[in-house]
Amino acid sequence: MQNVLNGIPLWWYLVVSSALFCIGLYGTLARKNAIALLMGVELMLNAANINLIAFWRYLAPASSGGLAFAAFVLVVAAAEAAVGLALVISVYRATRSIDPEKLDKMKL
Amino acid sequence: MTIQQVLFIVIALAVLGSAVFVVTTRNLFRAALMMIAAFFGIAGLFVLLDAGLFAVAQVLIYIGAISILVIFAVMLTRGMQGMVPRNSQATAAAVTVAIVFAVLLLLFGPLRLTIDVARWPVLSLFAANTSPRDVGGIAWTPPGQVIPPVPDTYIADFGRSLVDLNQYLLPFLLIAFLVDVVLAGAIFIARQRRPAEVAEDRQLQAEEEAEEAEAMRRAGALPGPASLPEGAVASTSDH
Repeated sequence: MQNVLNGIPLWWYLVVSSALFCIGLYGTLARKNAIALLMGVELMLNAANINLIAFWRYLAPASSGGLAFAAFVLVVAAAEAAVGLALVISVYRATRSIDPEKLDKMKL
Repeated sequence: MTIQQVLFIVIALAVLGSAVFVVTTRNLFRAALMMIAAFFGIAGLFVLLDAGLFAVAQVLIYIGAISILVIFAVMLTRGMQGMVPRNSQATAAAVTVAIVFAVLLLLFGPLRLTIDVARWPVLSLFAANTSPRDVGGIAWTPPGQVIPPVPDTYIADFGRSLVDLNQYLLPFLLIAFLVDVVLAGAIFIARQRRPAEVAEDRQLQAEEEAEEAEAMRRAGALPGPASLPEGAVASTSDH
């Protein structure tokens, strides 16, 4: 009664992507460096991508909707990483610190 | 135990182990390298899911571009010397994350919660059949149904769907526009500032601090004269 492909049920992929998402969430919340924070965000986006591709394969492999969604997540993650790291570099040049707990003023 | 199951377990453990290392290590550079290992593992999972296009895209984009960018950023902000402690909300974050993971496991994991639709007739409005269903709502295929194989032309179909007016052309063009804007914006944000611009930034910062100090004095939060002579910088020695 389960979705099984070559012996791998769908929920195995969902458990892996949930675990990866939670690990990335911890990394984003509990790190004192802005770059480490962005690394956690990238892990979360990858977990979402695993989820999308798994559901595409198990439920609708003939359609392209799941692939398109995953491709857009991939591209937006790359763009967001670029801007985030540019901001980190800029903030570091201005204040010599990238501790997100210390960046609590909106002015630079 | 099929070969795919063994491969899946090995790759999944590698991915999750690397990810745990990424979020707990104090050395930023090692974290970036383990993130690359995690991305390789995820590419392996995509291969197991018959999505070879995305495995290659994952390696090219995440490992070939984003990880290099992260390493550049780590190198350019070396003043932190790469030792990353945990911040003040680390334990709260760990507890929250554990709760979130437990909820997700209850919805999708091996011991899922199921609801017997026959006992809750209102759910039959949403459920197509009345067999016990997951609370998480994952579709159960009826027994004996085979998951269809991926068509051989899935890459061509995907490519065609991105330029088809009736499918995903609009999101595709929006994403292209987004990438252009992000490219220009990131270059502008991270540009080297000329000395004149650096001096101008510092002067603006000093003026804003003076205004803020004066506003706090007027509100009675700080002792001192109510107004400053023009052009003077507020002293911050009384904080």
